[in-house]
Amino acid sequence: MSEIEQKLQTEAKALLEQGKVDYIIGFTQGSLRFTTTPLITRDKGDTESLVINPFIVNNLSVYLNEIKGRVGIVAKGCDARSIISLIQDEQIIREDVIILGVPCPGIIDLGKIEKLVGTDRDKLDDITREGDRVIITTGKEKKEFPITEALFDDCLGCESPIPQEYDILLGEESPLSRNTELSRSKIKELEDMPPEKRWEFWKSEFSRCLRCNACRQVCPACFCERCFVEESEPRWISPVPRWQDNLMFQVTRIIHVAGRCTDCGECERACPVDIPLRSLTGKMAEIVDELFHYKAGTDKDAPPLMTAYEPEEAEDFIR
Amino acid sequence: MSQESAWEPKILAFLCKWCSYAGADLAGTSRKKYPPNVRIIKIPCSGRIDPLLILKALRLGFDGVLVSGCHPGDCHYQTGNYRARRRMALTKKFLEYMGAEPQRIQASWVSASEGDKFAGVVADITGDIRKIGPNRLFADERDRTEVTDRS
Amino acid sequence: MSRKRQRTSYDKTMKKIKKKDIGNLLRQWQSDFAVFTPSRKSGTARMEEWDGQDTSFLEWYRNTVIPPKGNIFPNMEEMFSFHKDGEGYHLELPAQDEAKHLIFAIRPCDARALKIIDPVFQDAYEDNYYLTRRENTLLVGLGCTDPHESCFCTSLGISPGESGDVDLMLTDIGEEFSIEEVTEKGKELLARTEGLVEAAQPDELRTRESREAAAKKISRKLDTTNLKERLLSSFEDKEFWEKAAAKCISCGICTFLCPTCYCFDINDETSGGNGTRFRSWDSCSFSVYTKMPAENPREDKWQRVRQKVCHKYEFYPRLFDITACTGCGRCIRLCPVNWDITRVLESVPEETTAQKENRNAN
Repeated sequence: MSEIEQKLQTEAKALLEQGKVDYIIGFTQGSLRFTTTPLITRDKGDTESLVINPFIVNNLSVYLNEIKGRVGIVAKGCDARSIISLIQDEQIIREDVIILGVPCPGIIDLGKIEKLVGTDRDKLDDITREGDRVIITTGKEKKEFPITEALFDDCLGCESPIPQEYDILLGEESPLSRNTELSRSKIKELEDMPPEKRWEFWKSEFSRCLRCNACRQVCPACFCERCFVEESEPRWISPVPRWQDNLMFQVTRIIHVAGRCTDCGECERACPVDIPLRSLTGKMAEIVDELFHYKAGTDKDAPPLMTAYEPEEAEDFIR
Repeated sequence: MSQESAWEPKILAFLCKWCSYAGADLAGTSRKKYPPNVRIIKIPCSGRIDPLLILKALRLGFDGVLVSGCHPGDCHYQTGNYRARRRMALTKKFLEYMGAEPQRIQASWVSASEGDKFAGVVADITGDIRKIGPNRLFADERDRTEVTDRS
Repeated sequence: MSRKRQRTSYDKTMKKIKKKDIGNLLRQWQSDFAVFTPSRKSGTARMEEWDGQDTSFLEWYRNTVIPPKGNIFPNMEEMFSFHKDGEGYHLELPAQDEAKHLIFAIRPCDARALKIIDPVFQDAYEDNYYLTRRENTLLVGLGCTDPHESCFCTSLGISPGESGDVDLMLTDIGEEFSIEEVTEKGKELLARTEGLVEAAQPDELRTRESREAAAKKISRKLDTTNLKERLLSSFEDKEFWEKAAAKCISCGICTFLCPTCYCFDINDETSGGNGTRFRSWDSCSFSVYTKMPAENPREDKWQRVRQKVCHKYEFYPRLFDITACTGCGRCIRLCPVNWDITRVLESVPEETTAQKENRNAN
């Protein structure tokens, strides 16, 4: 067990024992290889199964919207930003949350690993990070790659490896492997396309959408008790999964969460039909920064983006 | 039956009740000439605008959407138009990134006394939309529920 | 007219074909059928109409993401259209999809799944949309050689290597596939297919070995001992179900990608007096699934999770004598939070939490 895991288990157990929290939310070993799964527990015995490793991908802050009570929550830098955003929106009270901050060197993207070695994840024996390399073992064969080829695009553009808000920091900052160009390469590809081709691209992507709502459900910023999709009087969006309505749903959703979306990438990861949603959320985060010099979840005292305004701004398109 | 040569832009305008709608009224009572291509929906404030409304309008087949409100500082509800400004800016830029023609989404500040301006805005926008052609963003030959009646 | 498939006993001949000649086989079949094969062309692995050329799916295919149920029971289906005039409403049915389809390389789990949901569409009411397509779709199975770590079909009485739920069954025997007739329809098709060779004894042996090997490779096991009883007795155990449901995020991935889930929603899209009635997939995981004006009996997540589990493993078997799960593992593989039904089922207690506490207290 690593030092950071040891510290996490000790702190989490203490929080429950001392009655400082009602629940601990963290990660534990999943039921598939190289997979972790959220652990939500009131039982101090369960804290012994908490883990920290390069596969703790979930943004656990999504559970803060439904948990009632005080929570000790494991948060990477990106997750902490979501927590801050929820505090800004007054969805949670800062005092009700004890943030167990995880300094994160980046999370491994199993999809990228599979492409690098041309093998499905359940046929691999080991994936280990060593410094700025990743070593993938299958049987006797070991393959090595630069870690930047194995991390999520999101992590490659990470600006907050240490959570900006925490109560207990579980470890030292580890060197982050960044490559901003790579992290927005898909967005760049789209920007370079002529507009009609871009629309055709999204038309084709959204033809696959099943309307499973995973993107919405996994998103901490989507906390509306009644989503616009569920309105039937008037019916804004047909539940029938036509690409037009799928596209309309996603575009509206992304504009609705603008300024609260931290581009954590969970929507893209959750999508069962591989729609590249981060090419939308990432661009929205850039637009928000460009227009209003605002980054979601970086300042818990700042007013939420869409409730704030400057007397003079963004006038150029208005007649 | 619609024919491309007979196509007339159909523009949906959300006008705030206190300023822009009054301005449109003034254009009417002053007998200002402006293109008949705009269909008006009165909203209490430009701050009522949800990007959903704009997208729904485009989905239904409107060729353009206009949102018009009070000038910054003059909003009847103090801050509604500031919110609208932020939302419109994001919506426009985002849809442009997705590949939609940016001229389909327009915004203006028109006060109750600016009947002339309103007429001018409608004329300009109608011209813009005429140039870029009918909205085929959500068109799909197989989709029978699309609004195809352009009469 | 019974729409159930007839399994007849007759002399079953086994044929075989070289893997590299599969294209020729499929092209032959294309003259009579719209042939569907595993494909990633749309961006997600599903059964799509074959382009007449590309058999590279044989290299990557383990199983599709979207199950073949989507080909028989699509996510978006027009039921009828209507228009109103002076005399009232007039309904127009869509042109019935009477085309003959062939799904190539369906896995035993997915083929069984269709058998499992057949009763739903022909029990109290004959659903012609589903039944017509089902009747007109020939299934050519392909036995697994490489199950996922998430597969647990053997625990549910399904063999990854062979199937009685298809019309023809292919097995990987090295450089070739052996082809076994399963139904009369399959036998008919095979009889008029050219380019096949009679399988010999060694081929039959290799077929058996391949099937046994596949079953051995299934690493995930589900202990179904007393499962129905445990589910019934712990139905009211709110504490257990709350804990079991805690990490679920109530999306619809597991249900949409499950080959035995069949819930659908019906909606009318109208414009004036005209419109179309559609059906589309629905999910009991959605929070609004049972929402009604007065109340929502499954408002809480744990109630929905409990319902899904009990439906598959207790209610459905009670109605139709078969478990509504084939162990295909898609729900486990694709759940964003790795919620694992096998883990939950194994932890369903013999007694409720309250009973346990009582027992411990005494």
